[in-house]
Amino acid sequence: MKYKNIDINQYVKAKEYIDTALIPLIPYSFSNDQELEDLALQGEYIYLFANQIEKELKGRVFLTPEYYYLKTDKITETESFRLEHLINHMKSQPFKYIFLLTFDNKWRKVTKDMDAELIWIPAMKGGDLNQSETQQLVQSQIEEIQSLIKDSWSE
Amino acid sequence: MTDKKNQVSRRQFLNYTLTGVGGFMGAALVAPMVGFAVDPLLKGEKDTDFVYVMDENEITNEPQRKTFKVDQVDGWYESQVDRTAWVFRDENGEILALSPVCTHLGCTVDWNSREEFSNEFFCPCHDGRYDKNGVNIADTPPTEPLHAYEYKVEDGKLYLGKAKSRKEA
Ligand code: FES
Repeated sequence: MKYKNIDINQYVKAKEYIDTALIPLIPYSFSNDQELEDLALQGEYIYLFANQIEKELKGRVFLTPEYYYLKTDKITETESFRLEHLINHMKSQPFKYIFLLTFDNKWRKVTKDMDAELIWIPAMKGGDLNQSETQQLVQSQIEEIQSLIKDSWSE
Repeated sequence: MTDKKNQVSRRQFLNYTLTGVGGFMGAALVAPMVGFAVDPLLKGEKDTDFVYVMDENEITNEPQRKTFKVDQVDGWYESQVDRTAWVFRDENGEILALSPVCTHLGCTVDWNSREEFSNEFFCPCHDGRYDKNGVNIADTPPTEPLHAYEYKVEDGKLYLGKAKSRKEA
């Protein structure tokens, strides 16, 4: 399910079946041109990943609006509080499973004690989304993430 | 006296006209916007197009997964999207091209993916099951059979159109 009127209509009628939330974490920063370029590209990748995962598992996974945050050297306390707040909000709906999708490995430490599972994808620098090798790589990673989500359902 | 009377009616007059014009302007603004927003959504997929998927003689009794691209009008954008079909011949030799979209809540079903449910379509989301012809199995969440694509065969080539519900079939 996506954050779209048409999907929400379905969601509110079938909440008990849609017990998994997927939250894409998207950093941005305008202080360094190269970094800005890299982050924007990563944002596009995350969008692609999230959409493909949702497409296949639409009936059980809710893809939430993207979670944007300012990229800093260290994840600030304010930022981790904000995320935790969101996770708790989702948990209480109740979404039973919460997955965070990110390229930013700084979240690993910070989210350790949160009630969510971090899916960390190694950052991709450069590369062209339209190249067939890139697509194949992305496709296989997407399949891996999907089976990770499915596995957690059957645990 | 007359002056005062005039004033009142002038104010009233202004009031009426302004509300009237305002109302008009509102209506004029809102109407086309609603039209804009709703129109493209209503158009959906062009249903005229059949797309080549495979040669007729490649079709087996075992369902094969085939992907193909269709043009889709989604909101304001026209884009190409991937479609998937499970194509095979049923026990009467008829061609069947099933949509993998689970009729429960839309996850993607897989063929023969579970040992315990061999020769079935299985939905990983809530264990929805369908027999080989895509008919939903009782006591699993789906409420109708998998949709089937319209198809045509020309010069030994299989073309698929839109996936349609088979509820009334
Ligand atoms: S979406 Fe397939 S069983 Fe629920």
